[in-house]
Amino acid sequence: MQVFKLFMKILKKNIFTSMIYVIVFIAISIPMAKSAAADKTFKDSSLKIAIFDEDGTAESGALREFIGRKHELVELADDKDKIMQALYFDTVNYVLIINDGYGEKLAAGETEGMFSTYHMHDSYATVMVSQLLDSYVSSVRGYAAGGSDLASAEAKAADAVLQEAEVTIARNESGGVLSSSSASYFRYLAYILVSVIISALCPVLLKLSKKEFRFRTNCSCMKSSSYTMQVFAGSVVFIAVVWLIMMVVSVIQNGGMFTGNAWLAVLNSLVYTLICTAIALVICSFEPSDTVVNLVTQIVGLGSSFLCGVFVPQSMLGSGVLAAAKFLPAYWYVKAVEMLGGSEKFDGSRLAMYILIELGFAAALMLIALVVNRVKYTGAAIKLPKLAAEPQK
Amino acid sequence: MENTVVKIDNLVKRYGELVALDHFSLEIKEGEIFGLLGPNGSGKTTTINCLLSLLSFDKGNIEIFGRKMTPVSYDIKKDIGIIMQNVVVSEELTVRENIDYFCGLYITDKKLRAQYVDEAIKFVGLEDFTKFYPKKLSGGLLRRLNIACGIAHKPKLIILDEPTVAVDPQSRNKILEGIQELNRSGVTIIYTSHYMEEVEQICTRIAIMDKGRKVAEGTKDELKRMIKNTETISIEVLGLGEDILAEMRALPHVYDVKYDEKMLVVSCSGGKHNLIRALDVLQKHEIGFGRVYSELPTLNEVFLEITGKALRDKED
Amino acid sequence: MFLHNFLYEIKSSLRVRDLIFWLILFPMILGTFFKIAFGDLYEKQTKVSAIPTAIVETEQNEIFRSVVESVSKGDEPLLRAEYLSEEEALKKLGNDEIKGIIYTGDTITLTVAGDGVEQSVLKLFIEQYMTREKVITDTLASEPSKTQAVIAALSEEINTSEEAKLTEGNLDFYIQYFYNLIGMVAMYGSVTGLHVAIGQQANLSELGARKNCSATPKSVGILASLAGTWVVQSICMIICVSFTAFVLKVDYGDRLPFVYVAAVCGGILGVSFGFFIGSVGKMKQGAKVGICMSVSMALCFLSGLMVGNMKPIMAEKAPWFNNINPAALVTDSISALNLYSGYRVFITKVVTMLVISLIFYVLGLLMVRRRKYASL
Repeated sequence: MQVFKLFMKILKKNIFTSMIYVIVFIAISIPMAKSAAADKTFKDSSLKIAIFDEDGTAESGALREFIGRKHELVELADDKDKIMQALYFDTVNYVLIINDGYGEKLAAGETEGMFSTYHMHDSYATVMVSQLLDSYVSSVRGYAAGGSDLASAEAKAADAVLQEAEVTIARNESGGVLSSSSASYFRYLAYILVSVIISALCPVLLKLSKKEFRFRTNCSCMKSSSYTMQVFAGSVVFIAVVWLIMMVVSVIQNGGMFTGNAWLAVLNSLVYTLICTAIALVICSFEPSDTVVNLVTQIVGLGSSFLCGVFVPQSMLGSGVLAAAKFLPAYWYVKAVEMLGGSEKFDGSRLAMYILIELGFAAALMLIALVVNRVKYTGAAIKLPKLAAEPQK
Repeated sequence: MENTVVKIDNLVKRYGELVALDHFSLEIKEGEIFGLLGPNGSGKTTTINCLLSLLSFDKGNIEIFGRKMTPVSYDIKKDIGIIMQNVVVSEELTVRENIDYFCGLYITDKKLRAQYVDEAIKFVGLEDFTKFYPKKLSGGLLRRLNIACGIAHKPKLIILDEPTVAVDPQSRNKILEGIQELNRSGVTIIYTSHYMEEVEQICTRIAIMDKGRKVAEGTKDELKRMIKNTETISIEVLGLGEDILAEMRALPHVYDVKYDEKMLVVSCSGGKHNLIRALDVLQKHEIGFGRVYSELPTLNEVFLEITGKALRDKED
Repeated sequence: MFLHNFLYEIKSSLRVRDLIFWLILFPMILGTFFKIAFGDLYEKQTKVSAIPTAIVETEQNEIFRSVVESVSKGDEPLLRAEYLSEEEALKKLGNDEIKGIIYTGDTITLTVAGDGVEQSVLKLFIEQYMTREKVITDTLASEPSKTQAVIAALSEEINTSEEAKLTEGNLDFYIQYFYNLIGMVAMYGSVTGLHVAIGQQANLSELGARKNCSATPKSVGILASLAGTWVVQSICMIICVSFTAFVLKVDYGDRLPFVYVAAVCGGILGVSFGFFIGSVGKMKQGAKVGICMSVSMALCFLSGLMVGNMKPIMAEKAPWFNNINPAALVTDSISALNLYSGYRVFITKVVTMLVISLIFYVLGLLMVRRRKYASL
């Protein structure tokens, strides 16, 4: 176990550099999970709306009152830059300008050019407000056609439009074992784990696989596979500590210990940690420099995270992207987390399949690391740099 | 009268409790090749770093070319060349570019610099390697590049800190010849090394340091006279009895006689004609002998006797 | 001497292969990932394809049936409805084959299994139906003769609002990620600044010691190296912007030259940050690189690189931070060009970047300036 002991010694010496990454990434993982606000859908349908009334009639007043019943009215200065800023930073979701002549048009039954709107990000919610306005105006016209005067048509229309449909959310017995913030935390762990593990582990692995040191080891009677396995064992010990720290943070995040099937999320993360360790081993077997390690960490970390639905939910990604993402381990990790988070119905056998696929990735990557190490570091495969020397006299 | 190029006066440097330089003084004249010897941790590199104004020191005074040395004495620095213990070059530049870069830190005139660079390359014998990058060069060639970078700007004072470590004999000879050639053109050289043969070969004056102090100084002959052993006589003899050995011991100026493996070794301190007297003893008893050597003490022996024979391995 | 050091700094920087990959190739790769991941996103969010739905008729409702039929027809149907029993419907809902179950009883109710976009659309559909139903029912109760007129009025397709254009710029939310990519490249330039600081200090590198012995004043050497680094970093920033703008066809608005200005200033800021870190303390190079990289990553995160709505959260919780976060400054300066018609915000951000750079450089220079060291 000489190599294992050496690994630990080198780790001890480099612990500061390694822990910088661990600490910084843990520090960002917490706000990361908290910030994953769920998309504003019908659950949270009250928007912040600023209204500029250029008409100033009783009708526009009634409209303002109507909107105020469903949404939050926000005061805003009539300055284009300030409007822009408010929309950009989400202090206002929608700006409505009731054009001059609204009252007249409503009474006459005309509908063109009643309102001008500003909004920044096209989302369901903003489309809904436009629909609401159309619905209101249409209903007023309807009541007017039915013989009501304008004022009562407005009042009745308001009541009609503001009806809420009754929605029941069917929950399966064991669906949604993780709270939404825990589910987000575990999802983001896909990025955090791969980044931390590669950044923290690679410097140590690289010191261990310096050419001169490897030469000496090769001269000994230690098998190449034994060497790689000892290195892997050392890595696993270090990473286990890192993973435990992450799990402690996740428990704090969760507001308490996990119960029941929520432990499957912990298991899932453990399997993914193994994958990340194997990825680190594969990277290091190619002997990159410090800078290249950082580069690869970011490509693998950020790249796979964006493609596999860590930052942008899988449901939002194109089918082509998802098809390619299936070849990345992060995709299956995220799928398992999403199932535990309640995005799909909980199915024990399907979850087991996801985790088995992840284990498959871990095994495959380990194999690659073993093979590359064997090929690169034994015998004739070692390439010595060709050095210029004095021509022999 | 020779000018004093370097004057170190009562230099004291402490690292916390450890006294690295203990009232160290030194004077180096123009045109000398001055050897600075000492075991590991004696303070050689510390002295050089203080001399170059890289390290602060607690007490003392340093003058170079008759002027006080400070970190901003750029006029003095212009005439100093430094070849450090480790090869210090830029990995991203070729041989020629490296020499040009370092020369350019001293010489601003482009045309003059180009000429100096060519001369430096020729001097160290790297004409065939100008387009190579450092990582493609062997140890000996790297050392030569290191030297070229230090001397290209034609300084008047060159400091070499163990320049021939891990260098093949061919390159080492070239380096030593080069140093002597530089000296012949009027350059003052400070040379530190562990290799006694080199120091003995090229240095005109030598100082031996130990524990931050100067323990001996002088030409190599002066140093050799400082120690007890002035002559070692070795004679190849078969079968010597105790009585002959006792007679040898009784000879004047002989302080030690050993006989081992057919070799008689007689150590003498002072005196002349010691060899003749020894041979007379043998001839008197009609004892035949083979090869005969009479050696003056080596600098190595001087060094070991002055600093003590125990090995010390502190960081320098 | 300045020019000599300056030119050699550029020459040797451009030959550091790792650096070139890091600052040029990596942004290209990541940018491409972004383009692939977000390419379809806009479509997916606003365009909703026919939603698979089940209708459970607890009570017969002919009107509702005909409405469902009408929205299930045509080129862009809203629903893909099938009439099932409750048991069958619940099963399909459980298997995610349908997005919702509409019960046509006394009142129309909806049962869903999630809270996504499609479920929200179903709710809206039902509410619109309920609205129309009420108008008609009320009319039937009060003035039944006018029912036809009412239905006609309701059936007329109207469009009351006109979207006013706030800006000529690109309002796509996901373009933020490309702005953040530029910010990230700027921050990673800190590694080059770090190497300048280390390469000039005798106690941190042998090359530094060697340079300190030379006849070139330290300040000249440092400034020349920094200037050389700025040039190299600016080249990297320009390549990044050009690649995303012309190859990935990211729409930066119509003031692209100013985007270059913001990017170059960001690069200078990144270098200054690294220079500052490199001049502080005696830590090993590896540890300092670690600090540079991880802090850069954290700053990029807080500017919204990974989680898009991080910046608004910071704007709400600690708005002052966005004004000093280097990554956020780069991002905001470019988005200011996109959103605002004037240049006020843009200039403010650029000036802030340059001021912060200056502070870092001055602090770094004060620390590196030391000429003699207590130990090497």
